Amino acid sequence: MNLSLFVQKEYGSFHLASDITVAGDRIGIFGVSGSGKSTLVGMLAGLVKPDQGEITLDGETLFSTAQGIDLPPSRRRIAMVFQQHELFAHLDVKHNLLYGYKRCAREHRRIDFNRLADVLQIAPLLDRSINNLSGGEKQRVALGRAILSNPRLLLMDEPLSALDDTLRFQIIPYLKSVSEQFAIPYLFISHSLMEMRLMAEQVLVVSGGKVSEPIPSDQLARARMGESPYGYINLLKLSSPERVGELYSYPWGQENLLISDGCDEHEALFELSSKDIILFKKHPEAISARNLLKCRVVGTFVSGKRIGVELDNGGERLIAEVVKAAAQELEIVAGSELYAAIKASAFLRLGVSKMHLIAC
Amino acid sequence: MFLAENDLQAIWLTLRLAGVVTFILLLLGTPLAWWLATASSRLKGPVGAVVALPLVLPPSVLGFYMLLAMGPRGPVGMITKAAGIGLLPFTFWGLVVASVFYSLPFMVQPLQNAFEAIGKRPVQVAASLGASKLDAFFTVALPLARPGLLTASILTFAHTVGEFGVVLMIGGNIPGVTRVASVQIYDHVEALEYNEAYHMAAVLLIFSFLALLALYVWQPNIRNVIQTER
Repeated sequence: MNLSLFVQKEYGSFHLASDITVAGDRIGIFGVSGSGKSTLVGMLAGLVKPDQGEITLDGETLFSTAQGIDLPPSRRRIAMVFQQHELFAHLDVKHNLLYGYKRCAREHRRIDFNRLADVLQIAPLLDRSINNLSGGEKQRVALGRAILSNPRLLLMDEPLSALDDTLRFQIIPYLKSVSEQFAIPYLFISHSLMEMRLMAEQVLVVSGGKVSEPIPSDQLARARMGESPYGYINLLKLSSPERVGELYSYPWGQENLLISDGCDEHEALFELSSKDIILFKKHPEAISARNLLKCRVVGTFVSGKRIGVELDNGGERLIAEVVKAAAQELEIVAGSELYAAIKASAFLRLGVSKMHLIAC
Repeated sequence: MFLAENDLQAIWLTLRLAGVVTFILLLLGTPLAWWLATASSRLKGPVGAVVALPLVLPPSVLGFYMLLAMGPRGPVGMITKAAGIGLLPFTFWGLVVASVFYSLPFMVQPLQNAFEAIGKRPVQVAASLGASKLDAFFTVALPLARPGLLTASILTFAHTVGEFGVVLMIGGNIPGVTRVASVQIYDHVEALEYNEAYHMAAVLLIFSFLALLALYVWQPNIRNVIQTER
């Protein structure tokens, strides 16, 4: 997907200006509430009219003040998934799913209804009223309805915000697998850095009405480490656990990680804050932390008043953070060796199922 | 049967009038309510006020102006005469036109409330799924507003059945043509035929009660609608 957004829009004292071109199939739009990101995607979908500018998608002009073009939303082939499911209450699940499909020109219909129902695991729900669906099921049906309209671009505007944490991490794999399996590029809008990490390769940051040039989502996470109270969140997909007393042991790099919050499932996703990793220059004699990993420093980066330290252990990577004084004292430079101590309770497990679909 | 033939004739005429008016107002009031619910035009305020006028105007005032408008020198009268229809006052269709104006808020306001409650989002979703504006209106907005449509139709029908002042001004009192149930009761009282007046009044009372009962049982939210309109 190639998208150019050269647009401006004013709401009273708020001014939104975008002057970006982005290419890729998994694009994130990141920003706090009120930053203008929903207005930006509204303009792309044709729901909000820009004051001036031009929008082109894969070479086709969707909007242009100079050329007098303003394609209506129904002709842009850009489907949306919203924060709330927005299913039509007067239609059952099947007719909700088919709403966009029936209105799609035959030459654009390439997604098979039954295959989509299988991927989203909604086949048993087809005859139900939407009132008889759980929150997660409703969001899956809403996603299916958008995909079945055979769009050339899928806009997901905070689709996980209304869900609790467990549901959120259950839905993410569906969002990713559906767009991958049916080859539909997407724009994922969220104020959650974690969701950006999981969903987007390139991220546009919207702040105070300005849209940044695209940057990789991991680079964004590193840049924001210094100002975030949670630091940099390491995401670890671990598998093949073994019980060791009260803990779970997961193979990782050349070592095993001992984790309190493990589970018997074959695969699980964990988060680990860079703040929860303590670095030692030499092997400490005895510590309470259950994990002591010998790592090589790959590199360092500055984020605010903090130094991020990228560590390698058998090809696996972790980001730890230290203050500048500690970095000097430990003489941290690329290639040096350090010991990283991590408590078993510092690892937090995300979601509980379908983790095999997440490719971090 | 406890109702005389002329009473039955008046009731039949009333039901026919209410049915025709409700049908016409469904056709005219629905797009008007949609426009009032969704437009951002400056005309929205003045148009909304005109629609609500019959709620506060004495029926005789509305009837008087309509009589003038439909009369031989009025703009409507000149058009109907030029079109070969003749003059509308003291005809059934004159009653229909007057009742359409008089019952307009009873159709438009519940529908407007229903459309506003639905909001813009479902129509936007339909548009992003490939539906044109008209398609989205008929396949999403209108079905979602079904409870509002039912409420508006029942209120309009019942209100037209209960009209008196406007129909008397426009229609007069011609048996079988313009003498509706409420006018028939008035006639009975004038002629001191209290027994007949009792019967007719009881029919209207029971009808009105049943209509409102249907709304209250099926749609408890109607209380809010009625309170808003009063």
